[in-house]
Amino acid sequence: MSRAEGDAAEANPPLAVYAEGLGRDYGATRALAALDLQVPAGALVGLLGPNGAGKTTAMLLLATLLAPSRGRARVFGHDVGRERNAVRRRLGLVFQEPSVDGLLTVEENLRFAARLAGLGGEAGRRAVEQAMEHTGLTARARQPARQLSGGLRRLADIARATLHRPDLLILDEPTVGLDPEHRDRMWSLLDRERRDRGATILFSTHYLSEAESADRVVMLAQGSVVADAPPAQLQAALGDQVAELDGDGADALVARLKFEGVAVFAHRADRGWRVGLRGSRELPADLAAAPGIARLTVRPPTLEDVYFARTQPDAGR
Amino acid sequence: MSASSTAWGIVVRDLIRSTRQRSRLLSGVARPFVWVFLVGAGFNSIARLEAGISYQAYAYPGGVVMAALFGGMLTAISTVYDREFGMLRLMLASPSGVGAVLCGRTLSAAIIGGAQGAIVLACAPLAVHLSAEQYAAAGAVLVLTALTSATLGLLVAARLTSVENFGGVINVVLFPLLFVSGALYPTRGMPALLRGLARVNPVTYMVDLMRHAFGQTAEFPLAIDIAALTGSAVLAFGLTALLFDPEQRFVGRKRAGEGG
Repeated sequence: MSRAEGDAAEANPPLAVYAEGLGRDYGATRALAALDLQVPAGALVGLLGPNGAGKTTAMLLLATLLAPSRGRARVFGHDVGRERNAVRRRLGLVFQEPSVDGLLTVEENLRFAARLAGLGGEAGRRAVEQAMEHTGLTARARQPARQLSGGLRRLADIARATLHRPDLLILDEPTVGLDPEHRDRMWSLLDRERRDRGATILFSTHYLSEAESADRVVMLAQGSVVADAPPAQLQAALGDQVAELDGDGADALVARLKFEGVAVFAHRADRGWRVGLRGSRELPADLAAAPGIARLTVRPPTLEDVYFARTQPDAGR
Repeated sequence: MSASSTAWGIVVRDLIRSTRQRSRLLSGVARPFVWVFLVGAGFNSIARLEAGISYQAYAYPGGVVMAALFGGMLTAISTVYDREFGMLRLMLASPSGVGAVLCGRTLSAAIIGGAQGAIVLACAPLAVHLSAEQYAAAGAVLVLTALTSATLGLLVAARLTSVENFGGVINVVLFPLLFVSGALYPTRGMPALLRGLARVNPVTYMVDLMRHAFGQTAEFPLAIDIAALTGSAVLAFGLTALLFDPEQRFVGRKRAGEGG
């Protein structure tokens, strides 16, 4: 896309995030090669990829906490390099590790965050009260943050990031280390941010099931975008079914499936092969009858299959 | 509005933190008393001071400066902890920008250092008699001393990446600044090299200015002391603004291969 086309694409409808060739190097290391991204306002977009793929770098660039080495990006029309403060006014950030001060109480942490966001006095007090109420932390208001469990710290983090009602939430692995109950609570809070205020959410996660409800998934591998589409579309592209198989004859069977053009992708993991299959419904029976197959499971494609197919260099798509 | 709100938020947070770190606060106040009254008791028997005052009275202005210097610098240097444990990025992500963060940090460190110095100053009658005017003058000097100490601390923190360096900073930066300042003994008898270092040491001028306020014999004219301290504070703050790298934490971690 040319710069003129890019500008046109940005103008209407208004995009929450627009990035074109956005990249960042750390010395000789290329962390993010070139990110092209268009996120409409109000969307939920998941950023997926292996460790070191460039997800955090992409988020820090969009959050104006890193300067790009190349390319450009805008948040609600504001350039992330030249209009940092205007971008920051629209942002709520959650980092990989909880950012709460253990020596301060929950309420003091939130008051601190409110002041950083420019909310002082009565407006700040009201914003903190509402944030604690929404996250269910009111009863913990006077408790030092160091006494909170990991899950509650994360909720305090969400309260901190949302109390100034930002238009764009950038969340870097917000549910890492949380039990299912707290993960569910966190997603319910984020759903409410979208539903009630129309907030745009860009998040990264290694829990791929969390990304299945996203409007779009962007997958990164080795600093480059390798997939960008709605989850259902990405899953459908893997074929009709996915077979997980293992055994002495697995390699030969996969080679045969590839030769016959039935395998959309094939990835060898430690636990065996994952093969995306297109075509006839009789295939599973055909596979089960193959010699030397010790384990065979056939199921619909998941986002995890997409992850392996798109981010692993040997996936053979 | 946003910049002052950010700076004020940082000040409030730091003040709350410091009141909850009582042992640190107490040790900051106790340090000058240990020197003036314990070490000073020994010095008193061997030191011959020209003005005919006790060593405790001589060292007291230095003790007040010591409290403000350590309190201010260590609070400012604790920016390194915030960088290490992720709180600094929250501040840097505020719409007010780095300038407001540095101003807030300077102000909070100056208040904490100044408060520690004020406690020691309030106890001055234990060693020396001060008039109301001298107290007022010493209070004003304390403000300038604490502000300068805060900017010096921030300058040290600007490029410090790890809390592991923190203890070393006290030994390598703070103690030498204090020992080569005339706070605890006159610089006149020191070797030429150390005397030269004392001349470029901002703490020398803090102590000298405090001696003016205490009505003791000072080495430099009042105007020189004030100019040297104001210049040091402005220079240190300016250098900090130049050297402070908002990306340092992220880049450091990425080079170490962390994160996604």
